[in-house]
Amino acid sequence: MNHPHIFGIRHLSPAGAWHLKNFLTEKNPKLVLVEGPCDFDDILPWFADAAVQPPIAVLAYTKDAPVRTILYPFAEYSPEYQAILWCHENKKKCRFIDLPSEVFLALPEHAPGAKAADSGEEERMNVYALLDKQAGEDGHETFWERTMEHTKDTEGYRRGAALFGSELRALEDDSETDRPEILVREAFMRRKIAEAVAEGFAPEEIVVVTGSYHVAGLLDEQAEAMTDKELASLPRLEASHTLMPYSYYRLSTRAGYGAGNRAPAYYALLWEAIGRGDLSYTARCYLSRIAGYQRTHGNPVSSAQVIEAVQLAAALAKLRGGSGIPALRDLRDAAVTCLGGGSFSELTLATADTEIGTAIGSLPDGVSRTSIQDDFYRKLKELKLEKYRGITQQELALDLRENRNVSSQAAAFLDLHRSFFLHRLRVLGVSFAAAAAARQDNATWAEHWSVRWTPEAEIELVEAALKGDTIAQAASFCMKERVEQAPNMGEAAKVIEDAFACGMTEAAAYATAALQAMAVDAASVADLASVANSLSVILKYGDIRQLDSRPLIPILQQIFFRACLILPGECICDDEASKTMAGAMEKLNSAALAHDFLDVASWNEALREVAERDDLNTKLSGYAMAIRLERSLADGEALRLEVGRRLSRGIPAELGAGWFEGLAMKNRYALIARLSLWESLDEYLEMLDDEEFKRALIFLRRAFADFTAMEKDSIAENLGEIWGYNGQEVSEALNSELGGKEKELVESLDAFDFDF
Amino acid sequence: MIAAEKDPVPTGWKMSPRSVRTYICGGKVGRTKITPKYIGHERLVEIAISTLVTDRALLLIGEPGTAKSWLSEHLCAAINGDSTKVIQGTAGTTEEQLRYSWNYAMLLAQGPSEAAMLKSPVFTAMETGSIARMEEISRCASEVQDALISILSEKRISVPELNTEIAAKKGFSVIATANTRDKGVNDMSAALKRRFNIVVLPAPADLESEMEIVRTRVAQLSAGLDLNSALPEDETVQKVCTIFRELRCGETCDRSQKVKGTSGVLSTAEAISLLCNSMALAGSFGSGEISDDDLAAALQGAIIKDEDKDAVAWKEYLEHVMKKRGSKWSGLYKACRDLA
Repeated sequence: MNHPHIFGIRHLSPAGAWHLKNFLTEKNPKLVLVEGPCDFDDILPWFADAAVQPPIAVLAYTKDAPVRTILYPFAEYSPEYQAILWCHENKKKCRFIDLPSEVFLALPEHAPGAKAADSGEEERMNVYALLDKQAGEDGHETFWERTMEHTKDTEGYRRGAALFGSELRALEDDSETDRPEILVREAFMRRKIAEAVAEGFAPEEIVVVTGSYHVAGLLDEQAEAMTDKELASLPRLEASHTLMPYSYYRLSTRAGYGAGNRAPAYYALLWEAIGRGDLSYTARCYLSRIAGYQRTHGNPVSSAQVIEAVQLAAALAKLRGGSGIPALRDLRDAAVTCLGGGSFSELTLATADTEIGTAIGSLPDGVSRTSIQDDFYRKLKELKLEKYRGITQQELALDLRENRNVSSQAAAFLDLHRSFFLHRLRVLGVSFAAAAAARQDNATWAEHWSVRWTPEAEIELVEAALKGDTIAQAASFCMKERVEQAPNMGEAAKVIEDAFACGMTEAAAYATAALQAMAVDAASVADLASVANSLSVILKYGDIRQLDSRPLIPILQQIFFRACLILPGECICDDEASKTMAGAMEKLNSAALAHDFLDVASWNEALREVAERDDLNTKLSGYAMAIRLERSLADGEALRLEVGRRLSRGIPAELGAGWFEGLAMKNRYALIARLSLWESLDEYLEMLDDEEFKRALIFLRRAFADFTAMEKDSIAENLGEIWGYNGQEVSEALNSELGGKEKELVESLDAFDFDF
Repeated sequence: MIAAEKDPVPTGWKMSPRSVRTYICGGKVGRTKITPKYIGHERLVEIAISTLVTDRALLLIGEPGTAKSWLSEHLCAAINGDSTKVIQGTAGTTEEQLRYSWNYAMLLAQGPSEAAMLKSPVFTAMETGSIARMEEISRCASEVQDALISILSEKRISVPELNTEIAAKKGFSVIATANTRDKGVNDMSAALKRRFNIVVLPAPADLESEMEIVRTRVAQLSAGLDLNSALPEDETVQKVCTIFRELRCGETCDRSQKVKGTSGVLSTAEAISLLCNSMALAGSFGSGEISDDDLAAALQGAIIKDEDKDAVAWKEYLEHVMKKRGSKWSGLYKACRDLA
């Protein structure tokens, strides 16, 4: 049987694309078969759409979780892309002939975390390392560029590529790599070719565009095409695919034979140069761009230096023989020598910018995307966020308040809707925008985001397609899922917070109901308090988001009441736990102060009980007392009595001092000003004998540890007043140097173990 | 090599750029094997040669002992067959030494004439279209460096006394070497740096190439010096290179351990002279073979320059790294410890 014309290529090779186009023009085939999953045929027409700007990629993904994906990136200079364009321009038929993506996705190496893939990858790398050695210079990339990219002869390119592929095959023959997969793929491709021939296309009228590696496999006379039975026996996963914009940066990170190259922007220059028929254009353009970058970033570079660099690059290339066209390596070395003063580090940013570039592709509206992508781009347009769709990170500051200077409702709350949108993406785990830390305290109307579009974000978006057709739907689904799996009330409360941030009341209602159900079960005061706090914050500041947060009131009431009831009981705890408890009490108290619909009476009652009972953690009792003092629920007289009771002889010193520590945790200025308190403390300390004093000292020291120096001074002044000195004398004594005897006293404390 | 030339030869050169590369980095011409003169970074040699092809001046920068002068000498030798047109830069180098000066007796007797003129190496290089070398350019005073700027940019020297000027013939260029990180060097102006293509010569990339360099050079040197001593064994070379590399990089060769570095640079050149030194010791006062004691004495001398810090670093290295290296190293370790 006659073979169709086979053109072996290297993916992402500008010369390959150029020669392939020439080849197609020369042979003028009726059908072009391109290596690529055959179920992608439906998106072929889009490639030729005028509004499509490469780099783009086809993303295939499974429809069930866990999502597996494969990417097929195309740059403008991808031979496959150019072949497809040629077919469109010349009204010829074009098809993909590789295994369908549903089979690819079912191959074990695409399974997340598959071990097999790693070792296969490694072996593949080994083959390339071997190739690097044989190619001399600094590896096969440069070798390929010198020998293939600079070729002007189409037939030469075709034969060279085929030879390269078959040599690679021979090298790999010994290793087991992913041979089976390749054999299966080639059998399938043969089948597709045979199908085309059976349809009535003469073999001479067909051109097959495939990786040079497969050329020998497709020409192999012995190998059979895949049978129906074999085809049916292949594993499959239900899959779908979509076009997505891609970026040069991403192309460069996936460098290697198949999926990317290390300098996409440089190769784009090469493509342009080939188009102009002037290969030396690349050198001039590359070096001028580096110089331009250096200049705009404050490093003066003269045109004379660029000229010298161009000459040096040419001389370096000539040293290697061949066409004498500088390869990337020559250009880079020339740039370092002439523009960078001999050190690469001066040019790292410039070379990254020139070689990799920041270009991202774009697709017109409505091009075969998942509906969630459509929704994403529609929203970007609606919310005037399109300029943020760039590869460089940008800051976005939002003011959630109504803008009264504009006429329409939509414009007035533009920033609010943007905030909803960005929060929804955050909930979905799409890394398009990240919330930056608030720069101004308490400015609940301000939000700061740093926004950056990456292909990863796009992939995450496509993955989210499983969860819903629009971003709102998917986010809502996501939150529902989180509520259902929430291990405790805190998590559920977070979902409610998120739901409000996203402006999705129905999700909030769902989460609230779940929270209610959970609140019935036993929960600690600490949990209840943190939930109450989240809800209270939403209720306090929810207005700014124009949402009705009233449905939260009953649940907050319920939780708050419950916390009040169990608080005294939970105050029987050790000192370790008392810290969390104190935090919980603080939260509950601020909730009580903020909302008048809460049962403040029970809260006051609970506080009174904690403050007065003797069998609880004394620190918490002290803290409860402090709250009561602050809220004028107890007066000076009550405090005096309490101090007398708590700090009386017979009560172990650590308990007394612990109580005082609790008391001192809140509202210090009021405490310092209350002279009667210090009188009682003084009396108490006087009363203790040496042993008791030492024990009390430990706790008192801790209690005063986080007082500021000024606060300590005013306490000392208070005590001085009690002892009959006036303020001036005291401060004088405090600020003078320690005398000999005092020093001795202080030093004698060194031996004292404050850690108890 | 000149006879076997196949590629085009640039004006003023004795052989083609490719042959120059072969001359310096080694290779084969017909059946003759060319020994490499510079081992390691072949690419840097290529850049250097290409610079000279494009008529630009070349500046080799590197720490002491990275074969800057060695490379510049061999480049000149390969390109012109002559590497004698050299100016040794010092703080006392004057502008006259760069341009021309006069035979004052003649000047007074006959007035200015060409015969009374003493031409500098740069002047002669311009006349003959060859390469002049400028060693240690950064040690020259800045006014001398400035004088070089105009020479390099205009490629001509005017002689107002004779009312003439000479223009450089094609093939003229300058190779300068500079040491940027040392005491007593002057910073080079941006204008001067701009006149040069700058190539930074690094220390050898790996242990093997450093050993190769040391072995070759020690063999060459000792042949010329009548040291009466056997060449050091591979193991000895390896030990010296390992110690130098580790102290230079601040970590062990297997990267498992950090090592305190010393104040000196500990270049490959020093390793070479250290081995020759121990050979001399062994040949004149010892058994004729380098013993651990000879090596230890030489090592200590090379590593501990003048500061107490170095002694501490060396002791730490002995105890933490060398001691744990097993039996092969134990002899050297003991010898070093006894000295330290």
